[in-house]
Amino acid sequence: MIGKLSASARYLLGRGPAGRNLHTFPDDTFVVSYPKSGNTWARFLVASLLHNQAPMTFLRADELIPSVDFRPNKYFKSLPRPRVIKSHYPFDQNYKRVIYIVRDPKDVAVSQYHYQIKRKVLQDQHPIDEWVTRFVAGETCPYGSWGENVGSWLAARSGNPGFLLIRYEDMIRQTDAELIKIASFLGMTPSAQQIEYAVSQSTADRMRKLEQEEAGQWDSTKDTRKDMFFVRNAKIGEGRVALSAASISRIDSAWGPLMRWLGYETDSEVQPTKVPPTKELNFLETILEQQAR
Amino acid sequence: MNHHLKVLVKKVLGTDIAERNFAIFPDDTFLVSYPRSGNTWTRFLIANLVYPNVDVSFKNIECLIPDTSSQSSRVLRRTPRPRIIKTHEYFDHRCNKIVCIVRDPRDVVLSYFDFQRKYRHIQDGYPMVNYVNDFVSGNLNSKDWGTWGENVASWYYTRGKTKNFLLLRYEDMIQDPVRELARTAAFLGIECDPARIEQAVQRSSADKMREMEKRESKDWVATKKHRQDIPFVRVAKSGGWKEKLAPECVAQIESAWGELMVALGYELVSTTTGGKVSTLLQTRIEKVEVL
Repeated sequence: MIGKLSASARYLLGRGPAGRNLHTFPDDTFVVSYPKSGNTWARFLVASLLHNQAPMTFLRADELIPSVDFRPNKYFKSLPRPRVIKSHYPFDQNYKRVIYIVRDPKDVAVSQYHYQIKRKVLQDQHPIDEWVTRFVAGETCPYGSWGENVGSWLAARSGNPGFLLIRYEDMIRQTDAELIKIASFLGMTPSAQQIEYAVSQSTADRMRKLEQEEAGQWDSTKDTRKDMFFVRNAKIGEGRVALSAASISRIDSAWGPLMRWLGYETDSEVQPTKVPPTKELNFLETILEQQAR
Repeated sequence: MNHHLKVLVKKVLGTDIAERNFAIFPDDTFLVSYPRSGNTWTRFLIANLVYPNVDVSFKNIECLIPDTSSQSSRVLRRTPRPRIIKTHEYFDHRCNKIVCIVRDPRDVVLSYFDFQRKYRHIQDGYPMVNYVNDFVSGNLNSKDWGTWGENVASWYYTRGKTKNFLLLRYEDMIQDPVRELARTAAFLGIECDPARIEQAVQRSSADKMREMEKRESKDWVATKKHRQDIPFVRVAKSGGWKEKLAPECVAQIESAWGELMVALGYELVSTTTGGKVSTLLQTRIEKVEVL
């Protein structure tokens, strides 16, 4: 009862995290992704593009592009519009403009596994195969499974002019080009210098250095192990190396069609008998077939 | 401040409307659908099946199968488990067992039009062309359930092929309610002798429900404050759009959600291609090279 009373009072005073009850406006842009898919990096890039008066830091990026799960409605109300807001939620119809960052789930799995060790949710040397089983079932974080999160957004919004899909892998390979796409989605036409500046503010090396300075104050790192980085290896394809064949096949058979549609390699391409053709996501599949033509 | 105090008291007592803010258990079953897709009928069918000794009516349906958009989190908390809960919310990953009812959006729009007149969200003479435009673009003057396409796709493409998901098409239920209720009973793990299914179907017939509505519309939370000259239980038929919906309206719906409609088995009649493909083709997705 007391817990409820204080939760209600916090909510009433606008002090609890906004979460799903955020008051939104049609001109808000949301940077959405499943956790560990490059959201923080994307926020750094966007924040340094929009606000280049001072060097970007984790704390500043967090104030400029706040997370729905860390800040109360009161804070969001105080932001000048149009706002840019970070979220990990599956499809939310209140988000009218969405930049959705997607990453190969095999790499997401490895990244989330390490982050959970850093957050002391898992012990060092926790068997990763066991963990991947729970990852596939959507039991390792409160935002649904990877397939549900990505699938809900793609199914509801792909093709909608208010939806921009960005792959983490493309951000790695051609950061400038992807940032230009994002900028134009935000209605900006940045100069080459502005893009270059934003990219230089957001390199993995610079972010790692900043992390060492700010880890104690930043919401996502403050109560976590300091011997591990939040900004980890920032590379493509780690999952193929770090995961066992059994784990890879578990991920492939859970989300194969969706992964292939996104251009992520699955084992079933090598061994077509392993994952039977499925009607799942067939409208997305149709698109893929059309593109292949 | 008075309003704020009311909100606080409601939150503390748990009498605020549940919506998405209530505890979900793994043994809950959810009846999900976009509005005007046969959810109320399905509720009656299932309630009559599960509680053969109860006289199921609009007076007690909210106790038997509560609705997240009219009942409080306290009512939901006090509903005995395993609960069956009705909702129009779009995808919520916390839900485990799901009965998803879909209906041809070309019929949904006609039904929703009458419903919104009943609720005084629109005037009687509101042009259908405008209404279809609102319906497709997500500008209906009602609670935001997402568009039909968003709502249905968000469930179907996340859970559609999993074992804890049962897809019911309204049209199939109209055609053979006994067969569809038998499938539902099997999904819910209810031992079903055919007589019990037959009885549930009869007790939930459109005629029975219309009679009940006449008697009880002033008692039921979903109808009591709204226009009494327009019924909640409407024609209970499928395919009305073929006569009542103008070709340009049909085309607009099909071009917005053609792909999804085909996936659900709804045949397209207009010559425009399903919208999503053409737009998506502009964003070319290349294969990621593995390093």
